[in-house]
Amino acid sequence: MSRTRMRLVALATCLMLLLPVLAACGGTSSTSGGSSANTIKVGLVTDTGGLNDKGFNSLANQGLQKAKSELGIQADVTQSTKASDYVPNLTNFASRGYNLVIAVGFLMASAVGQVSQQYPNVKFALIDSTPADAKGNSVTRSNVTSLLFKEQEAGALVGILTGMLEKQGKTPKKSHIVGAVGGQKIPPVDHYIAGFQWGVAKEDPSAKVLVAYSDEFSDPTPCANKTDTQISQGADVVFQVAGGCGLGVLTEGGKKGIYTIGVDTDQSASDQSVIASAVKRVETATFDAIKSVKDGSFQSGTVLFDLKNDGVGFVKGNLPVPADIQTEIDSVTNQIKSGAVTVPDTVKP
Amino acid sequence: MAILSQLLQVLVSGDFWQLALRDGALLALPALGGVLSERSGVTNIAMEGMMLTGAFFSVVAALSFHNPWMAVIVAMLAGGAMALIHAFISIRFRADQIISGFAINIAAVGLTTFLNAKLSNFRGLQQVDPSGRLPTINVPLLDNIPFLGQVFFQQNIIVYVSLALLAIANLVLFRTRLGLRLRAVGEHPEAADTAGINVYRLRYGAVIMSGLLSGLAGAFLAIGIANIFNDNMTSGRGYIALAAMIFGKWTPWGAFVACMIFGVGDALAASTGVINVPQYFLQMVPYVLALVVLAGLVGRSTPPAADGIPYTPGGE
Repeated sequence: MSRTRMRLVALATCLMLLLPVLAACGGTSSTSGGSSANTIKVGLVTDTGGLNDKGFNSLANQGLQKAKSELGIQADVTQSTKASDYVPNLTNFASRGYNLVIAVGFLMASAVGQVSQQYPNVKFALIDSTPADAKGNSVTRSNVTSLLFKEQEAGALVGILTGMLEKQGKTPKKSHIVGAVGGQKIPPVDHYIAGFQWGVAKEDPSAKVLVAYSDEFSDPTPCANKTDTQISQGADVVFQVAGGCGLGVLTEGGKKGIYTIGVDTDQSASDQSVIASAVKRVETATFDAIKSVKDGSFQSGTVLFDLKNDGVGFVKGNLPVPADIQTEIDSVTNQIKSGAVTVPDTVKP
Repeated sequence: MAILSQLLQVLVSGDFWQLALRDGALLALPALGGVLSERSGVTNIAMEGMMLTGAFFSVVAALSFHNPWMAVIVAMLAGGAMALIHAFISIRFRADQIISGFAINIAAVGLTTFLNAKLSNFRGLQQVDPSGRLPTINVPLLDNIPFLGQVFFQQNIIVYVSLALLAIANLVLFRTRLGLRLRAVGEHPEAADTAGINVYRLRYGAVIMSGLLSGLAGAFLAIGIANIFNDNMTSGRGYIALAAMIFGKWTPWGAFVACMIFGVGDALAASTGVINVPQYFLQMVPYVLALVVLAGLVGRSTPPAADGIPYTPGGE
């Protein structure tokens, strides 16, 4: 073979290697059936956590898939791999005549603020935040509904469980030190942690709550490392608030023989160490938003999900909850529901 | 002063060094792969892609066979297959080895992301259950030694494997005929060829070894630490290993020392809750340290003379 021909073959081989990338670039998965003229088209854009975060994004997708099978909508999903994907991914759906575009995550607030202004005829549902301008200031858009959660109420209940276990000396090391590993210092994460701090302090005022942020929502390794550090400081119960990254908290906790707490959905199957999960029914919120577009009752503004409307809650894990603790959890639940107590939503330093 | 005492508190804890050694041993595998490949004269920046491919296929295999050893074999084969492509392009077709390596890294991201979505109907692959995870081995008796026991004898099995491979590779590279031939091929392939050494065969072998080692590292990351596959989960570790290889002057132990510096950096970054400085600053420390050491202490780092130069018999 001549040298030029060799080069051509080498170039062609390299190009072949790039094919999967090109295939993945069009990462929209059309899971739709036939799309007749009056089928509602819904596009969902995940944040960087991706669909396999076993929590937040995958829950939103569950709601979408449920709507697809029950309401007969066309459902499409695009995953964002980096923050700069948000605007293009949202625009992609909005520009192609989708009726509703769902943005999953606080991190997409300003992307939604921007795209919703450019496409006033497209409806948007933004989970965990109100739309924002480029500087992060909240803005009002007549075509955006914000689905917000009082995560602090779910955090409070797992905090009550943790505090009572610590107070009664039923935790693995009886150390009166517990930890929380957040993905990033943003409101939905801090709400959970603030509630957790409040719940623990209410039952065991002497307990110390360590707080760390992994700066990551998908790769479990940094979260596992943070957990190691908290364990070395004495923590024997660690609450993960970091989506897919936080799965590292659960498995690392299991390896080191401490208790862990899951987030967003029941994560007790992820590891034996999971004693409870603070859940947030993103799937219900997503489904409701789609339904509102389908039956024409869509309203802009804010929808709030809390304990009272079963939008957040407490789910048992792999540890039987003693009767006295269950009683306390139930009583605090009722106090929160009735408004007798308010759980703080800012993390104490 | 508070920061110093906090730092001290971190540096004397067994957990810290346990974590540092784990991450150092993880990075050492692809770094060692790079050393072998480049010693034979083939530039290899594709460890990142081979590691990611290994990580993905280890999870697929662990989910299907519920056996970590099968998963490790599959991961190594997958990494080896990617390496074979790199070897083929750079040795047989004498293409630019940087471009080939780069293409492999990009292709690996696309391939694994695509298959991850495809195999799981866009939900992402399941978490690996305990039966498919690589075990942590506590060496009996020795693991009870205070501090040292936790750091050296309560580690994932791959950490021990990684350290053993480093020792073996060092021995083979500098104390055996095979090692001498490999280095000869990387320094002066014409001379080696004249002496009757099969240049191509040695280069193929070394590049494929780098794939097997990177695949093993991918498996360690995916089913030993994270227990799940995430898109692009190697997040640059292959490039860090590449830096460690250069840093360590293309020797196994040198690369390992460099890997340990990055391992300590990882462990430091995990200590943000204890050390009261912003975590971004802590994450920066190992890289700044690497720059300082590279500029000031290591001195000139010279690659093998024929590194990156395709060999043509007779010089064409």
